[in-house]
Amino acid sequence: MRSYDAFIQLLGLTVVAAPAAMVLILGLPSLAGRPLSERSISRTIQTAIMVALLAALTVLTTMLADGDRHLAIEVGNWVKIEHPHYHFSIKLLFDRLSVPFVILTFVLCGIIGAFANRYMHRERGFNRFFVFFAFFVLGMVFTSLAGTIETLFVGWELVGLSSALLVGFYIERPAPVRNGLYVWTVYRVSDAALLLAALVLHHVRGEGDFEKLLGAGPWPAGEATITQWQALSVGALLLVAAAGKSALAPFSGWLPRAMEGPTPSSAVFYGALSVHLGAFLLLRASPLLALSPALCAGVVTIGLATAFFAASAGRVQTDIKCALSFASLTQVGIIVAEIGLFAPLSAWLLYVPLVHILGHGCLRTLQFVRAPTLLLDYRSLENAIGTPLPHANGIWDRCIPARRRRWFYRLALERGYVDAWLADYVVTPVLRVFRVCDALERRWARLLSGSSKQGQDARPAGEESL
Amino acid sequence: MGPLLPVPGPITSFAFLNTLQALEDLPFDEGMRYGAQLYNCEPYLTEDRYREKMARGRIRPADLAAILRKSLAEAGDVVIGSLVTRHKLRLAMLSYPLLYGPMHELRWYVEETEALKRFRGDVAPATRERMIEETRRWVMRDLRGDGNRGGNQAPPHARTLLADLLDRFGDSSIEHWCDPLAEWEALTLETLWRICRDGVERFAAPTAPVRRGDRHRDLLRDVTSEDSDALVHAVLIRYCAAFCDQGFAGWPLPGREKGFYRCFFQLYRRASGPPDRWRRGLAGELCRIEGLGLGPRESIAESLQLLGVSIEKRSEFITATLLALRGWAGMLWQTEVRGDRVPRPAAAGTLLEFLAVRLILDRLALSSVAKETLGYDGPLAELRHVLAERTAQRPRPSVDQRALMMFQLAQLLEWPPSTLLHLAPDAWSALVGEIEAFPSLDRRWHFQQAFERRYRQQALDAFSIHVRRRAPQLDSPRFQAVFCIDAREESFRRHLEEIAPDVATYGAPGFFGVPMYYRGAGDAHFSALCPIVVKPRHWVVEDVVYTLEESHRRRARTRRALGSASHQLHVGSRSIASGALLAAGLGVLASAPLLARVVFPRLTAQLRRTASRWMDVPPVTRLRLERSSPMPGPADGQVGFALDEMADMSERMLRDIGLTAHFSRLVMFVAHGAFCLNNPHKSAYDCGACTGNAGSPNSRALAAMLNDRRVRILLAKRGLEIPNETHFLGGLHNTTVDTVRFFDLDALPRSHVADFEAAAGILHDTCQRNAHERCRRFDSAPLDLTCAQAYQHVEARSEDLAQPRPEFGNASNALCFVGRRARTRGLYLDRRAFLNSYDPTQDDAEHTILARILSAVVPVCEGINMQYNLSYIDPTGWGCGTKLPHNVTSLLGVMNGYASDLQAGLPWQGVEIHEPIRLLFIIESTPAAMLSIMERNPAIRRVLANGWAQLAVLAPDSSEIHVYRSGVFHLYMPETDALPRVASSVDWYRGWRDHLGFAVIENGGP
Repeated sequence: MRSYDAFIQLLGLTVVAAPAAMVLILGLPSLAGRPLSERSISRTIQTAIMVALLAALTVLTTMLADGDRHLAIEVGNWVKIEHPHYHFSIKLLFDRLSVPFVILTFVLCGIIGAFANRYMHRERGFNRFFVFFAFFVLGMVFTSLAGTIETLFVGWELVGLSSALLVGFYIERPAPVRNGLYVWTVYRVSDAALLLAALVLHHVRGEGDFEKLLGAGPWPAGEATITQWQALSVGALLLVAAAGKSALAPFSGWLPRAMEGPTPSSAVFYGALSVHLGAFLLLRASPLLALSPALCAGVVTIGLATAFFAASAGRVQTDIKCALSFASLTQVGIIVAEIGLFAPLSAWLLYVPLVHILGHGCLRTLQFVRAPTLLLDYRSLENAIGTPLPHANGIWDRCIPARRRRWFYRLALERGYVDAWLADYVVTPVLRVFRVCDALERRWARLLSGSSKQGQDARPAGEESL
Repeated sequence: MGPLLPVPGPITSFAFLNTLQALEDLPFDEGMRYGAQLYNCEPYLTEDRYREKMARGRIRPADLAAILRKSLAEAGDVVIGSLVTRHKLRLAMLSYPLLYGPMHELRWYVEETEALKRFRGDVAPATRERMIEETRRWVMRDLRGDGNRGGNQAPPHARTLLADLLDRFGDSSIEHWCDPLAEWEALTLETLWRICRDGVERFAAPTAPVRRGDRHRDLLRDVTSEDSDALVHAVLIRYCAAFCDQGFAGWPLPGREKGFYRCFFQLYRRASGPPDRWRRGLAGELCRIEGLGLGPRESIAESLQLLGVSIEKRSEFITATLLALRGWAGMLWQTEVRGDRVPRPAAAGTLLEFLAVRLILDRLALSSVAKETLGYDGPLAELRHVLAERTAQRPRPSVDQRALMMFQLAQLLEWPPSTLLHLAPDAWSALVGEIEAFPSLDRRWHFQQAFERRYRQQALDAFSIHVRRRAPQLDSPRFQAVFCIDAREESFRRHLEEIAPDVATYGAPGFFGVPMYYRGAGDAHFSALCPIVVKPRHWVVEDVVYTLEESHRRRARTRRALGSASHQLHVGSRSIASGALLAAGLGVLASAPLLARVVFPRLTAQLRRTASRWMDVPPVTRLRLERSSPMPGPADGQVGFALDEMADMSERMLRDIGLTAHFSRLVMFVAHGAFCLNNPHKSAYDCGACTGNAGSPNSRALAAMLNDRRVRILLAKRGLEIPNETHFLGGLHNTTVDTVRFFDLDALPRSHVADFEAAAGILHDTCQRNAHERCRRFDSAPLDLTCAQAYQHVEARSEDLAQPRPEFGNASNALCFVGRRARTRGLYLDRRAFLNSYDPTQDDAEHTILARILSAVVPVCEGINMQYNLSYIDPTGWGCGTKLPHNVTSLLGVMNGYASDLQAGLPWQGVEIHEPIRLLFIIESTPAAMLSIMERNPAIRRVLANGWAQLAVLAPDSSEIHVYRSGVFHLYMPETDALPRVASSVDWYRGWRDHLGFAVIENGGP
């Protein structure tokens, strides 16, 4: 029995170790300035993902076979401070939520890895792409298997960083870099919320272990053991984190902007995996939601608002990638709404959003990788139908009165003005506050250092000389 | 203004035209440089990329020297500053990579590298030693001396210049340096650097050339580094995309039929929602303009006046403004003037309306940026002056930048410090002036010339040697096959001739002289099948034969039902409710096709084909070619040609290629097309002479006409006798997968079946060999593939979603031969040559046939060549960059990423193996004939006389070649008189990826 347990533990570790090894194998030579050849890179990626996928499938089989739906692996306490009580531990959790999600990750990343290997052939930055890709896979695995909020945060950061870097993959053009920065900024807001949530959790419980927080029952049957108000505060922070990561309203502006990278990265990141991370986080924290009806109402509202916003913005998009990204967002909105709606009703209903995520991920990835064939597809559809393609007359023609159509059209074309709204009511005030602080700090520094002159950084601009 | 905009138009039917065709009235170099300035692109490759080509032997030093000799002529022998001849100086500047860059880079170079401690790596060791030795002697003897010994004293200012240097190196211990060689080397270079700086400083730097047509935005950006165009484009791209959309978006733009200008007004006239800060005034401004009743034309005038653009600067300003978002502007213009190319054309005047809207937005963005960054609140007309005052002087190159050039050249050309120090001021002035009179752009021009010279010499040598052999005569060929002039068919014809030496091949533009709008039995729309410069006047449709009518209807119904369903699925997956059902219910199933498509592309494609066979258009169809009503049109009775029109087209095609006698039993016209997945630029791989479509309907139509007895009678009356036993066939060569299929085989006479089957067998082998030759250029295809493996490899490529390089199209094209195939047969041309058949012995005294051939071939081939050249030279400027982030937009074009200008030109993956040299026309004719044709035909003249393509003529009866240069034909003197000889093509190319030279294929001729 002992050896059997050890075997399962080993399998569980393999699921994480294989992607970690992949990161090392691709990353270390790049650091040394001697990137691997295209062939070795593709072999590494394929082997690592296959090994990890097989391990994950075996874990799934054993879990199904012996009926134990909950497997936790401690990878050790990395920081432990007895007084005040604090510890930072890495813990992997295999349950009915994480295993399907991690298998989805491996399947899609494996296919997209094989796809990108041919698609990116001879591209400058081939190696860079796959290094980011490896980090992304590792981040996804960590996030899905996380048993503590710290572990989750590690994966969350890796995913965010690799996504933003891949949006700005074409560093020689300004637009991708600018948009990569935009994505990164929104991600930071989301990260900050997650970090705060972790802090609050530690404050409340002294540790970030989901099992302790959300009850020992295997997902989705857990029951949270904190008060309603604590649930609301942690849950609200988690909701902000999820909204940033999943581009829910009002953070939706970044999703179309993320379409700057090469097609495979758009497919797997924003069509399939990382855009669902927010929903995944909410699923993981579903026992919290069950505690607080207010929180659930918030989740449903944000989900539905996102879905309607994205559906109408998606209807006016004229380019395939933005159309697909809004289509993704529509479904993510629905998924989030489902979570908010089902969490207080019955834990078992939470399988609906989970299945929704899995199906949506596969469907959207297929559509994304086929996106460049759009012209051919439309032509063959037109030929089959024999006329120009009809406009699908949805709510547009039925619900909106003719005179309001232009107004709605413009609202959709301008993507609901969320970007302008954020810029005006959030970014500008924040910048202003920071500028004031900056000025104050300078003044204080000058006062304290006793110099009345301008700081060192204001070097007179003159003819440069060697 | 329209013609200056990019020309390819909708990428569903890619038009290969020279992007700079509006500038073809200028000489090539002038046009290129002007165009590059207008488009803000590179006119030539960078020096580094040329040097990389030199390292690979694509340009030889001898070519560079020869070009320099030619461009300098006698002026090359002038000695500059008594140091070096101009020729030698310029050659050094060309031969060595000289570092020149922004100040930061130079500072790094001087301070952080060993630039002042060690000589450049490419300085010859002997030169280095001599210079160190010379300096050492000079320092010890002249500089350190106390000045009493007389002789060659260093001038006093040199002593002050170098005094602290000697101190630093340790003047007193100079005899006891521990590593004397290294110390002396460093001292030499430090001295040299100081002297160079000192020498250069005395002369004013040349001013940078003034940019033309500065817009307010350019000035504003220079001053504030805020780009007002970024704001304007965000709105304009979105709106243009919605306006151009050919039916992708679910909600069409309301009020599009009112035109670009009115529609924009209606959409943005009311303030709604919180728009971006700079656009707050837009609604008010639009209301004001509408209140004044200004139309687009008046609004432009008003905007120009408000912007303070003077009358004489208007045209320049408008050009620059339109080119700022040239992809979209060009697309609007193309859908306006060639409405027949898209389902939803734009109304006349759309470009003008675009300009009006753009100027309104420009004004708002400018005032907003000026206000926010400069606090400027005044009228825009004054903004220019305000900005001009703030703009610093145009940056001149700094002393260090200039001195570094001198410093590097001094090392390379062995000018020791002592020599430079004693140089008289006028010699310095001459030297500095001379170096600065040969800037990078001129150097790149020389490289480009040398590049072209290299290939030209090789090609002309090969031709003049090869045509000396006795041209083979084929009096009764087994069959005759006519292919497109396309460079891809060169290898196909060569392999065909190798496999069957008794076959004759011909080349003609791939629409085979039948310009038409065509709609297949399973097509929804007509498409134009002819070169972009021609607008067809006839319509042709394909009918399923009446016997299969019932099955056709049934299958069409099935297709329609399935098509509607999959369209519903497509749209539904993006909507809320059905999307949720689909994703949650069936989404996981999508992983099956995803996996199959990506991992087993070839198998999946075969399965899919088999599955869809039962609903394809039935196999027996006919083209409706004959018209009953007098006027042609798309309606039922008007489709087709009149009988004498058919005879005209048939006669013209046969006479053009010189196929007027010795008809074999089978004559094939083989068009070509490319079939590949996941490739928005698919049509750029199709036939360029059919505006990016497959040319099969044309070849099929021509064959059907020639098989018509009544046409043959008409032809016989015109002296073109076609034997009764000759049968014509139309076919299609799929250039991606390398298959050939034929049409109307049901009408093949029983007597010809054996001939056809033999021919089909030969063609199958040819396809395999052709695929094999193509595979040598694919990095992902191993070099040791067999023919059969290569054949499978190319098939998998075409069906692979992940394959950005299904084929290379016409990349690497460099040559166009117009003449008899007999003369070039057996010459290995490496898929780089357009081949058009023409028999000068059958032409009349007026050269009528040649003139009409060239009037199509010259613009088509030059357009293809220039499109490839430009896309290679500046892949992100002229071309559309790498295709990996491309985003198909409005069903018309591609953007880079989420919102960018429409990308015109070719993707990098399609031009990667190209060499950007101007097309070399070799025409089998006489100089006098060519001059007279150019005289009579302005379209040919402007291309050839202005040098947008190179021209040479090959004498019809000897191996004499004349090269056309600035208006005159010069006799060409071959450089060699031997060509490599190999048994077969595969012996020549096996194991090579790069471009290959010319060779004689011994099996190639009869």
